[in-house]
Amino acid sequence: MGGPAYDCLTNPLGAVRFSFVNALSSGYDPASSIGKDWGVVDLFRHYFSDESAISQVPVLDSSSIKWVQPKTLVRFRGMIQDMLGNEFYAGAYKDDTTWRTNKYSDVSQFPEGSSTEMQVWERRLLYCVPVPGQNQWTECSSQELKNRFLDLTGQNREKRVRVDEEMTDSMDSNTLEAGLNGSPFKKMKVGEATSSASESQVPQSSGIPPATSTESLPCLVKMYDSPESDLKLNDVVEFLGVLTFDPIVMMDTDSLDENSDDLSEAESVQMPSGKVPRLHCLIHRKLETQHFLHGSSLLPEPKSPQSFKEIRESLMKYLTSLLGNDHIAAQFLLLHLLSKVNGRVDNVAVGKLSLNLIHLNKESMSIFGTQLSDALKSLLPFTQSIPLTIEYLNTASFGPKKDYRINRLMPGVLQIADGTHLILDETELQPGTLNSVGVENANLLKNLLECQKVEYDFQYYKMEMATDVQMLIFSEGKSNIMPADLVLPFQPSQVNSLEVITPDTAEAWRCYLATCKSLSHSIGQELQQVVENDLVAARQTDRSLGSQDLSRLLTMARMMSVSYGETTLSLEHWQMVLELERLRKERLK
Amino acid sequence: MKDYDFDGDKVLAKEFLENFADANGRSKYMEILQEVSNRKIRAIQVDLDDLFNYKGDIEDFLGRLTENTRRYVSIFSAAVDELLPEPTEAFPDDDHDILMTQRAEDGTDNADVSDPHQQIPSEIKRFYEVYFKAASKGRPSTIREVKASHIGQLVRISGIVTRCSDVKPLMAVAVYTCEECGHEIYQEVTSRVFMPLFKCPSSRCRLNSKAGNPILQLRASKFLKFQEAKMQELAEHVPKGHIPRSMTVHLRGELTRKVSPGDVVEFSGIFLPIPYTGFKALRAGLVADTYLEATSVTHFKKKYEEYEFQKDEEEQIARLAEDGDIYNKLSRSLAPEIYGHEDIKKALLLLLVGAPHRQLKDGMKIRGDVHICLMGDPGVAKSQLLKHIINVAPRGVYTTGKGSSGVGLTAAVMRDQVTNEMVLEGGALVLADMGICAIDEFDKMDESDRTAIHEVMEQQTVSIAKAGITTSLNARTAVLAAANPAWGRYDLRRTPAENINLPPALLSRFDLLWLILDRADMDSDLELAKHVLHVHQTEESPALGFEPLEPNILRAYISAARRLSPYVPAELEEYIATAYSSIRQEEARSNTPHSYTTVRTLLSILRISAALARLRFSESVAQSDVDEALRLMQMSKISLYADDRQKAGLDAISDTYSIIRDEAARSNKTHVSYANALNWISRKGYSEAQLKECLEEYAALNVWQIDPNTFDIRFI
Repeated sequence: MGGPAYDCLTNPLGAVRFSFVNALSSGYDPASSIGKDWGVVDLFRHYFSDESAISQVPVLDSSSIKWVQPKTLVRFRGMIQDMLGNEFYAGAYKDDTTWRTNKYSDVSQFPEGSSTEMQVWERRLLYCVPVPGQNQWTECSSQELKNRFLDLTGQNREKRVRVDEEMTDSMDSNTLEAGLNGSPFKKMKVGEATSSASESQVPQSSGIPPATSTESLPCLVKMYDSPESDLKLNDVVEFLGVLTFDPIVMMDTDSLDENSDDLSEAESVQMPSGKVPRLHCLIHRKLETQHFLHGSSLLPEPKSPQSFKEIRESLMKYLTSLLGNDHIAAQFLLLHLLSKVNGRVDNVAVGKLSLNLIHLNKESMSIFGTQLSDALKSLLPFTQSIPLTIEYLNTASFGPKKDYRINRLMPGVLQIADGTHLILDETELQPGTLNSVGVENANLLKNLLECQKVEYDFQYYKMEMATDVQMLIFSEGKSNIMPADLVLPFQPSQVNSLEVITPDTAEAWRCYLATCKSLSHSIGQELQQVVENDLVAARQTDRSLGSQDLSRLLTMARMMSVSYGETTLSLEHWQMVLELERLRKERLK
Repeated sequence: MKDYDFDGDKVLAKEFLENFADANGRSKYMEILQEVSNRKIRAIQVDLDDLFNYKGDIEDFLGRLTENTRRYVSIFSAAVDELLPEPTEAFPDDDHDILMTQRAEDGTDNADVSDPHQQIPSEIKRFYEVYFKAASKGRPSTIREVKASHIGQLVRISGIVTRCSDVKPLMAVAVYTCEECGHEIYQEVTSRVFMPLFKCPSSRCRLNSKAGNPILQLRASKFLKFQEAKMQELAEHVPKGHIPRSMTVHLRGELTRKVSPGDVVEFSGIFLPIPYTGFKALRAGLVADTYLEATSVTHFKKKYEEYEFQKDEEEQIARLAEDGDIYNKLSRSLAPEIYGHEDIKKALLLLLVGAPHRQLKDGMKIRGDVHICLMGDPGVAKSQLLKHIINVAPRGVYTTGKGSSGVGLTAAVMRDQVTNEMVLEGGALVLADMGICAIDEFDKMDESDRTAIHEVMEQQTVSIAKAGITTSLNARTAVLAAANPAWGRYDLRRTPAENINLPPALLSRFDLLWLILDRADMDSDLELAKHVLHVHQTEESPALGFEPLEPNILRAYISAARRLSPYVPAELEEYIATAYSSIRQEEARSNTPHSYTTVRTLLSILRISAALARLRFSESVAQSDVDEALRLMQMSKISLYADDRQKAGLDAISDTYSIIRDEAARSNKTHVSYANALNWISRKGYSEAQLKECLEEYAALNVWQIDPNTFDIRFI
């Protein structure tokens, strides 16, 4: 094919249909293919091979939903909250003699009456929500894009219609009328007219639990072709695909719910497209922290360790002043911020490092806790904090639970994306009685801290889902509900007023944290021997050390090493870890 | 387009129903048809296994049937219509029959037979239903595996039922009578909604150009029972990081009320799309919902005895059984990630296998379940061992002593909220009937709760006498308990009895009691440090040095072993008796008896030996089994009293010598083979190295001579 006869950005379906016709002519047989990809994915992947092309695509969120057009290409960044299974759709049908396809769309382009043969294909439905605890700075500003995009669509509208007509012409003349009927042009006009209406209407009532806040916009993503094992629950993914979103069909619950015993739970009924936009995914990618950074990607690794050291020092200085000049606490906090689950061996999550700062009471919490959580919000992509009170423990649902009445997974507080930072504030806790929900919630928390796993309740059985959450606990004494890896008495010497950080510094720190987290790590042969001996010696002197404690020391060593941008452990860093551990032990006495 | 010959297939179906003979040579389906004709049963279940085994020219027939099942239901129904024999028993006519007779009489003077609406549909005449049961070979699909290409086909799916609707009537044939002409009009309903007739289609009304006024006759219409259910994937079928899928199942007629939420079932059924109707269709666009039209329901039972082997498992088990080292191989594969503890794992394996239950002629029962108690310092992976065993066992319940009251373990009498009746609710031990109940934190249970377990452990029943209910429930379960020593950690300065702190009555019920201590020694610390380092460097467990067997193979092997019921041959009786009496004497000799050797101990020896014989797939217990059983019991004691012995001042070498001497004296022999000697001393917990040392030392003293090749011993 010559130059693109279609605009991937504004008329993706045109591109799909065009390539379908191409594929047909080169021997693609819809009857036997079960909807296998005919080159569309490659086409779009090629088109969006670099970051700048992707950034042209508007991001779908609660503000942009008001102006993006249906049937255009959008991006959606979110967490997979639920998997709704397969959906069967009339994928291709024969219109007299020509095959037509309905892939990547919700409604047929042409009336179905004339079709003689129809192929049923399937697609997977993923229910995605904005990542819980996503911080302000990660959001793409789509304001400028909006203007640009509106311009673009204005220019292209004429052209697109022409292309569309050409295509309909070339396919079959007697469907011209039908083609116009369902053409993007008309549809879009309708969409335009009503999308403004949808603004004013009160969105999200019952039935769609994650969308309780008006800010967050869930999205039903329809996946084609990609293998099932590609995407997992709670993955943070960017989907790029065709938006269909139909505010005309308004909620009309009365007519539907005349029969409460009805077991039908079709997605279309529960989540009318007026509320939950649909996205027919063309390409997708998993998001890492670096994708949220503006422009700059990770720090280049070969860059001199000097620069790492500089950023580390400035960040350390910031953390120390945050923590009231408690240098040791700042050290541990940095190591804690760099931790992530590297792997799972048997039941042990290797690499987790939860931190429990003790000797904090309500007063100091209000000073340092808020400062710290604000600071973390500006440093990490996803942060959440849970205030532990008896009432909260007794009422909140921590673990996600399957609701068979509506066949949906009800999200819990602990259904969070990997890499989320969680602050648990135990200073609020008062003596009281836990009910069964509270006990269960406390157990879930404990399990999360110990194994980095959350149990999902499927009523008839429970399923454990692996997570990777950094947990920071504030408590007065050592928290017994939440046994952290590291317990450190917090000893601030003064309260510092917070210095203002420039966006550039913040960006550099974010970048630093993301880079350090992504570094690989190993221990050299000689040092291995040293470490081994030190561990044995430690255990000989203190019998109470278990394998978790030894494991924790190694995790700290790893964090220490990567915080200097190094990928192999050096003796110096190992000794720093031992020294830190000694200081911590001293404080505990 | 293939040419479908449905009439030909109908003939084939007829032939099959007429001629099929099951393994006993009885014509299975004709007998069913006779029953149907006598109105004894309503369901005709055609087992596709039978069709598969049926010799005849039906190669493709089976294939066509599975691909286009719904059509073949009607083909088979038509075939049955023609084959149905005359009833051989009298039965009272019901409304339906009277109606049918009337219709038959009417039919003669009703010339208007060309009209499809006036022909009596065969559906309304039938008082039976035809169901297909999918061929049982191969594994049933999971919901995930059913794809768009399966639409219209017969599939077999396993899953758990999550929701059921009420049973409702579903109209199968609507019958109208016309006010004008008095004709009966029939309308077959095939979907969930239908359009009632407003115009009489009979020729008389048509000729008179009157619309007529058909009135729906509910009594004459045919209704089917209809129930909708939701099924969900089983936890083990869900890939990591995914959500279980679910599927709608429609149950009709005799299949209704067969399932309830929580059942693990296997459905055979036809996977069909269900078009949206009305307003929903507008909204759904191109999308079609799907459901499974169930044709048969099988409940799964999770018991060893009913374990069905998967295709290649039987072969693998046979291969494993030939391997001499199966005992070690299997035991090592239990919790492979937990380092060491070989003997404990062996004991746990025997707990899984168990011995056959015996019921004597006078009604006395002797339990076959092996009870084990693990005791040890915190952090020695006791709980992990427990959890792993529960995973391997097809039926296992894990509970902690602190979290369960005596009632929670045994059974509770509850008052039903709705009916106000007293109901029995089984506790953990009752739920684990024919399985394994693992109780963690056994020591932390209240004394009163612990006594509830006494009965379960020996009598294997739970007796209830509460609120007017006196009954006893079966609790044939093997108890696996884990406990901490009395003061949290094992205190070496105190006696074992003080440390264990469980009443003797309870202790004697355990066949084996293991003490796992966390001893401070350099080697194990180094091992631990190495392990942790390795885990951190490679993010995987260190190589085990062997290939652990998959849990499902383990399960299959154990269930195969559990089918055997080995007996103790007469020649071994003497041997076991002497072994038992020597343990008793030893205990009598020592001034601080460590153990409570009772008749229960003798039974334990027999049980463990039988379990070992089962593992070998042998019908009789061999001497080697008894030796191993004695060795395990001895090892379990040594784990408790190892330090004690050292205090007694007997050094290992001289003790070894005295064992060999005593044994040789007992059997009146001066010649002892090396293998025998090793056997004896290992039973007392000594190692082969110690034996060698002993042999050399005493040979030097000229007490005995050692054969240089075989190491056999000859006393001088």
